[in-house]
This record gives sequence, structure tokens and C-alpha cells, in this order.
Amino acid sequence: MSDALSDGGSDHDDSQEDVMTPVELIAKLEEAWLNEKFSPDLLENKSEIVECVMEQLTHMEANLQRVSKGDTKASVHRMEIDRIRFVLSSYLRSRLQKIEKFFPHVLEKEKSRADGDPSYLSPEEYAFAREYLANTETYLKAVALRHMPPNLQSVNMMKAVPEPCLDSFVFLRVKERQDNIMVEPETDDQREYVVDLEEGSQHLMRYRTIAPLVSTGAVQLI
Amino acid sequence: MDPSEVEFLAEKEVVKIIPNFSLDKIYLIGGDLGPFNPGLPVDVPVWLALNLKQRQKCRILPPEWMDVDKLEDVREMERKEESFTPPPSPYYMELTKLLLNHASDNIPKADEIRTLVKDIWDTRIAKLRLSADSFISQQEAHAKLDNLTLMEINTTRSFLLDSLNCMFKLRSNMQPGSGTGKALDY
Amino acid sequence: MDSQSYLPVPPGVGMEENFLSLDDILLSHERLPSRTECLFPRLGYLEKTSDSQDIMEGTKMELPLWLAKGLYERKRRVVSVELPKVYREGWRTVFSADPTVVDLHKMGPYYYGLGSQMLHFDSPENPEIAQALLQTFIGRFRRTMDSSQNAYNEDTSALVDRLDCLERVLFRMGQSGLNSFQGWEKGRASHLTTSALVLNYRKRKMADLQA
Repeated sequence: MSDALSDGGSDHDDSQEDVMTPVELIAKLEEAWLNEKFSPDLLENKSEIVECVMEQLTHMEANLQRVSKGDTKASVHRMEIDRIRFVLSSYLRSRLQKIEKFFPHVLEKEKSRADGDPSYLSPEEYAFAREYLANTETYLKAVALRHMPPNLQSVNMMKAVPEPCLDSFVFLRVKERQDNIMVEPETDDQREYVVDLEEGSQHLMRYRTIAPLVSTGAVQLI
Repeated sequence: MDPSEVEFLAEKEVVKIIPNFSLDKIYLIGGDLGPFNPGLPVDVPVWLALNLKQRQKCRILPPEWMDVDKLEDVREMERKEESFTPPPSPYYMELTKLLLNHASDNIPKADEIRTLVKDIWDTRIAKLRLSADSFISQQEAHAKLDNLTLMEINTTRSFLLDSLNCMFKLRSNMQPGSGTGKALDY
Repeated sequence: MDSQSYLPVPPGVGMEENFLSLDDILLSHERLPSRTECLFPRLGYLEKTSDSQDIMEGTKMELPLWLAKGLYERKRRVVSVELPKVYREGWRTVFSADPTVVDLHKMGPYYYGLGSQMLHFDSPENPEIAQALLQTFIGRFRRTMDSSQNAYNEDTSALVDRLDCLERVLFRMGQSGLNSFQGWEKGRASHLTTSALVLNYRKRKMADLQA
């Protein structure tokens, strides 16, 4: 058995100031994956997690290069790598899907972001969104708009593409207890009321109510 | 979400296996496993247990709840109670399918277990439909769903959430002026 | 996997319309009984029933929703739009008695969509119409849900027949939830299939070669 595998990934973070262990890192990735899958809106990007996971994978794959194919340990490592890769690509893909669905709004949000605020998009996603907008415009122009009278040759993308609906309901599990969450009434004869979200409990409610708790990690969408 | 993705999450659950080989600790990115010694039970995630089983390198010990007597009690409770009782495991459906399909020779009374779990599932899904209907007809804004499992939520997720969205939009019709601002004129 | 190579734009529900949604484009072509409230000079050729050069004030005609919406103005009456029967009081009473007996496809097929769009035209009955749409939806929900959950691998046309377009979308959503679960249960999910995109790409490539 090669020693290359025995030191694993756990000592590998020492060089970074980041105190997250690989175990926590993978948990964070899975959390981000499910939140992104179930949230009606595009969440802030987690480039740091993505990069760290990629680093872990590359490191592990490099180690595996030195081990013979039939090695049992190596095959277990390969299976784990495949599983992590699956989560990673599914996560990135669900972000791309949302960017395609909401591209004008995503770009608008990025434009109106204050200087210090973190970007919602990774540099790659930003490039993708801009290209997607440009391609859509070129396409619409080529197939239809150029045949229209001059005053009708433009489409307002912000109006043409629906916005994310923050009033969508979501399922969630509470990770850190939250008191006094305001639930807005659905009908005129109901009143607003507050609920306490106990740790470990599960709820069905509007995304808008708990969106801030998703980004702080206090609740997990399920 | 696709059911196979829920199954993927279930595969992270830990089961006990009895290996027939020896191997030192494995330092995976997601945590350490082993060491493995022939005949000594050891905890591993289901994905690894199934792989080792397929390669005839281990015997899987069924989880404690996967037992005819226990499941009969659960079924009894589930039928008696109006609300959802705590599930035998948050992934009871997925684990039953995985373990019975790939390791039924390690699980006593596999067929009975399959039927029991299916009964429990059906009872719970019927309750889920009842509560979905009352959530809609009462126009509730919040529901607590403590004992529902991910697979149960997942079978009705898109239908229920989309219905709620439709209802929300139809209701906002009634507040004059709320929709008109967004109305597009082309 | 439920991922598709292209995501169709869903119809807007309620008073919103999605510009790029095929359903909403079809909805915007629904015809509404209307009446002109002023003279439309030199447009008589659009109105085949008279030989007049103009469309006279008070002419009754059917206008598609998009045109009626475009011409309608609150301040200056150019056209007035008549409420389709199904949203009038008589039918509203029928719906409130038992919404499940109505064939909304025959009455619609865009019962909720068109109903919501009608709210753009100022009518004293608007609050009642909006209320009727919501109550009808709620009243029919159980049926939509139950039929969508009991229809695995069956001929569903009889179940779908009486549903409005919006309900059909939900019905299919419920079905696909059920189908994917039952497919998974039977172990069908473990077989990988080629994505439609790749398949079409291959076909196109073959066609290119043969050309």
C-alpha cells in the first residue's frame, strides 16, 4: 500500500488560513448544492468552497496516479471522488440553469451591486450570463426583430424574462434555532403571526420570509 | 429533485458491515474509515457497503429498525395516529430498496420487510395528500412538517409548490393594483 | 434525471404575462366580444360585415385579447370589452355551488389565465371575478391532485379532459413526480440513457454527412 494515500487530505489545509476541515468543506458543498437546487432565486456564489473542493480532488487524484489500478483502497478513493464530483457539477449546473432562466435580472443585480459587496456570480458565471444575453439578443434579431418596423425592433429583456418569484414556498430544515419569525397572512381574514423555528424542525413556508436565514446557513432548504 | 438524487443522499447513511478482508484505515476527504479486519464489524457509508457486498467482500448487518417486529409496530402507530409519526429512519424507503435489492441474503425476512415498508409508505403518502389538500383549502401560510422524509417531500414537491404559486398569483389578483404594475404592454 | 436540454418558459399566472411563453402567446389570441366606442376612420376593410369605409362607433366585433388590451384605456373609451359568459354572475354561482362538475376545458381552455387578464379591464365585477377564480382553483385542487397521483401508466386522457390549461400543467407535474418515484422504485433510474441533446446532435451530424 502506498503511503501517498495514508496522509489523506486532512493535513493539506495547513498552508491556508482557512480553518475548515475537509469533512466540513464537503458538508458545506452539499449544503450549498441543496440550497441552490431548491431556492427560487440565484444564491450568492460559493467560489471559495468550489475552489477548495477542486483542490482537494486534484490533490487526491494526483496521489492516486501513483497507485496501481487494482488497489482496493484506491478504488474506494476513486468512488468518493466520483461522488464529490457529482455534487460539484450538479451544484454548478443548477446555478447555470438559473442564470439561463433569469439572465437579465441576474446581470442587473450584478450591475447595481455596491462596490464593497460580494458578487452573486463567479467571474466565469458572469461571463456566461453576458454571453447568454448577447446570444439571445442576436438570435431574436436574426429571426424576427430585423423584419419588424423600425420602432418595434427592440425587446426589453428585463420585462420579457420573468423575475424569480421570491414568494414561492419552500421546504426547509432548521439548523440554528430562530425565534419570532414573522409569517404574513395569506388572506384578509387571517392575521400575521410569529413562529419559532426549533433546531431540527422542518417547515413549509414562503422563501421571502426565510431568505436571509438561508444565506447565513441557519436553515437548510430540503 | 430526481429520486435517484435522494437515493444518493441516503447512500451517505452509515451501516455496519462484517468484512472478510483486512485493510488499514482509509483517509477519505469526507472522513476516515476502517480499519477493516475479517469478522469484525465496522461502520461504513452505504455506498461503500453496497460496493463491497457486490464484490463479495463483506456481509451487511441490517440497520436496527429493519426488523419485522419493529416495523409492524411502526405500521400500527402510523395507521393509528392522525399526524406523521417519526419515521424508522430519515431514509427508510431508500435504504430498504438499496439493501433489499443488493443484499437481501443478509436481511432476515426480506420480503416481509419490503411489504411492511411499502405499507408504511402508502399510509404516510395518503396523510401527506390530506395535509396538502387542507393546506391549500385553508390557505395556510406556514406548516410544520417535522417527521416527513426527503423522499416523501420529493414525490409531491413540484406539484404542491407550483399549486401554491398559482394560488398566490390568483390571490394577488384580488388586491387591486398589485398586478397591474407588472403588467406588460407590448 | 429530470434535466432537460431546454427549459420552456412557463406561462405567467394571474395578471402577469410572460412574453416568451408559448402558452401566453396562445392565450393572448383568445377572442373577446367587444364594442367600439368611437369611430375608427378608414379601417372599415378590417370589418367584413359592412361596406363602410370606417368602423362606426358602436360596432360589435370580436377582438383578440392582445388587441383589446392594447386599445383599452381607462380615461378615453376607445373600445369596451364584454365579459365572457363564464365569468359572469350566472356561471359564478354555478362554480361556487360545485366547481368540480364544470368542464373547464370546454369553458376555457384558459379559464384562470383569461379570467385574470379580464381584470385589466375596469369592471365593477372585478373583485367577484378574482374571488371566483381563486375559489374555483381551491375547490378543484383535491381532484386535480388525486387524479394526477392515481394515474401511473394509465390512459390519462379521460382525467385530463375537463381540466383547464393551468390545471393540466399541474396535473402533468404531479404525474411526473409520481412516475419518477415509481420508476426509481422499480430500479429504472439506474439505467443511463443518452441525453436528447446528444442524440439529436448525432442525428444532425449524420444528416450533414449524407447531405
